[in-house]
Amino acid sequence: MSDLDRAIAQLRACRLIPETQVRELCYKARELLIEEGNVVCVDAPVTICGDIHGQFHDLMELFRVGGDVPDTNYLFMGDFVDRGFYSLESFLLLLCLKVRYPDRITLIRGNHESRQITTVYGFYDECIRKYGSANVWRYCCEVFDYLALGALVLGTSSELEPTGPVMNDSTQTGAVLCVHGGLSPLIDTVDKIRLIDRKQEVPHEGAMCDLLWSDPDEIDGWGLSPRGAGFLFGGDIVKQFNYRNDLSLIARAHQLVMEGYKEMFDGGIVTVWSAPNYCYRCGNVASILELGEDTSNGGTVTRSNGDYGRSNGIMTVDRPGVRSPGRRYRVFEAAAQDTRGMPAKKPVADYFL
Amino acid sequence: MSELQKSFAKAKLAKLPPEAPPFSMHPPRDEDDSESASSTGTVVPSPSRQLFARSRGSTCGVIFRLLAILTHPRSNSVETLNWTDFFTQELFLIQETDSARITHHVYLTPPTNSGPLFVMHHGAGSSGLSFATCAEEIRKILPKAGILSIDARDHGQTSTYTETGEGKVELDLSLETLNRDLVFIVRETQSKMGWESLPDIVLVGHSLGGAVITDVAKKGELGPKVLAYAVLDVVEGSAMDALQSMEKYLSTRPTRFPSLASGIEWHTRSRTIRNRTSARVSVPSLLYEEAAPTDPSKPWVWRTNLAETKPFWENWFIGLSKKFLEARGGKLLLLAGTDRLDKELMIGQMQGKYQLQVFPEAGHFVQEDQPVKTAQVLVDFYKRNDRSALVLPPKVADMQASAAMKQGAEAGAVPPFGRGQGSSHKP
Repeated sequence: MSDLDRAIAQLRACRLIPETQVRELCYKARELLIEEGNVVCVDAPVTICGDIHGQFHDLMELFRVGGDVPDTNYLFMGDFVDRGFYSLESFLLLLCLKVRYPDRITLIRGNHESRQITTVYGFYDECIRKYGSANVWRYCCEVFDYLALGALVLGTSSELEPTGPVMNDSTQTGAVLCVHGGLSPLIDTVDKIRLIDRKQEVPHEGAMCDLLWSDPDEIDGWGLSPRGAGFLFGGDIVKQFNYRNDLSLIARAHQLVMEGYKEMFDGGIVTVWSAPNYCYRCGNVASILELGEDTSNGGTVTRSNGDYGRSNGIMTVDRPGVRSPGRRYRVFEAAAQDTRGMPAKKPVADYFL
Repeated sequence: MSELQKSFAKAKLAKLPPEAPPFSMHPPRDEDDSESASSTGTVVPSPSRQLFARSRGSTCGVIFRLLAILTHPRSNSVETLNWTDFFTQELFLIQETDSARITHHVYLTPPTNSGPLFVMHHGAGSSGLSFATCAEEIRKILPKAGILSIDARDHGQTSTYTETGEGKVELDLSLETLNRDLVFIVRETQSKMGWESLPDIVLVGHSLGGAVITDVAKKGELGPKVLAYAVLDVVEGSAMDALQSMEKYLSTRPTRFPSLASGIEWHTRSRTIRNRTSARVSVPSLLYEEAAPTDPSKPWVWRTNLAETKPFWENWFIGLSKKFLEARGGKLLLLAGTDRLDKELMIGQMQGKYQLQVFPEAGHFVQEDQPVKTAQVLVDFYKRNDRSALVLPPKVADMQASAAMKQGAEAGAVPPFGRGQGSSHKP
């Protein structure tokens, strides 16, 4: 068993690896990621995952539902860290898997993979608490800077219909663009993403910021994002972008969806959320999206925890708008919560009038 | 340094205003790496923040601060500061109701050149001067901005009388009343100042004030001129939790002070207010000197009896999260310490419904502890929500229409994505 396999086994058991090993891991990961373009090309079949936010036990549940690495090909759309109590275990495990099986797992950057955000939302504090210094946090942040900004999934749904020149034809069979947030007014083609100099902290504005911060919304054109960064973009923008770039779908994460996933604009964009019962209290389910090579309509597969044969879909629920070829959503609930190792509840403020 | 020097330095350092703490109260950020994050986490990258400011805890900084203290002993002063250093005028606005006559007292610096008006509502037990230092900083960044900071009922210099002028008016600090007061004050200020229409307004409320301005924003009584609203350090869920221990907390506060200076000293030493300058201007408005003190050695007592306001506590905060998410306009939540979001706000935040900022080093009185940073966030927030300056990229339909027109005129095709997006990208 190699050191790396040992580290994987240890992290799967939710036990941390020594600091020196983290340093080495981050170094190797950086060497790998530096070779990747801003937009990584991935062949279907692949399973797309949204925000994880340090919910380690739910990440294990995700692997049970979607299959293990390297059997299943995975694409994680960022926000691995912050808010949950096991950001380190979650991110380091994903990073180990990336180094061990570089062609079977793709990691792209979310807005939480940033120095500024992690100092506020818990990852920094977790590193200090668990390693006693900021070294590990710094190694991880250096890896963040090298994560790709997006991915292009090719070869989904092989049934090639003639791609009509009609703008609102949303049943094209092109590629799937995966990005954490969404579109940017500065980006009208996928190639423009490739031109960004990504090896930096997430800037507060501009194309790179928008890709990680924007949200789709039921509006026409572009709107102001209430988040204070990025934009809102409407169905017309999505349809035009997909048409121009011969995309069948934009898959993104970034927004909590109580039902686990949400398609918008005639299936032209989908939000995939993979942190069930977010922050251990939001009461939402999570999902992953399996993009197949064939046209068989996967629909939605839900299962509840404790079902026998966990990774088998039990129940197919038809929902309007999800009958797109080659897409299958697996919806899952939070893992039975292991409360050991959870920090005590945040102290109540003493003064609040 | 000799032992004596060291202990002297320590004693001096202990009294430093925490604006630039020589030793951070926070987990130490790595000192040796200029790439480390500044200790001032905010959730949203804000254009004017230094992302990678060097950590300030260096020895050099300590010595510098020490020198500054030794050469400028006044910076450690507990002398009171006058409101006139921070606002250009005060107004007394008289309101007659069925049962009482109220003189609302407000501090005002009017906006100029169609600048925005920041309307500030303090928290329970505080006063309009809680925003004094922040107001000054806002105007340093945005000189055309105006500030209207009010003294709520039973706070500061706002006074209530019965119609006959005798007896005491029954305490009414219900959310509905405070809402009506704020709307009245804004309208009355408009008429007193002779403004034809209201300027663009950003509502800012701290703690209880946050609940009031959210209620005003939700009810929409000030109309579309309210561009946005900002709530400082109050969250329904955590406020309700904290209320249980409020009485106990209040009982641990001193009830009287020998002088204003000792009141200022208590606020800074207990770290209730972590900024001496702000304490020097805001604390005097929290206390008054009793004419015939029960304890002649300590004649200064609290202006507002917080314990008496208890019947209203729950009324202030119930439904706050829902209203905050539902009201129209830009939304900002600025929290001190750690984020204490309740479930509703957590979901809202992760769905991108509002802007959240956290100042890890600030105490509850965020705007007093960190006036510069609070002002910067508020000005950025205003600029982002300023509709007159907002230029969004064109809609697809508009571009298609203009392309079709050009084609009709045989002017050739226009690229579907318009030119000059770089300049119109951000407001």
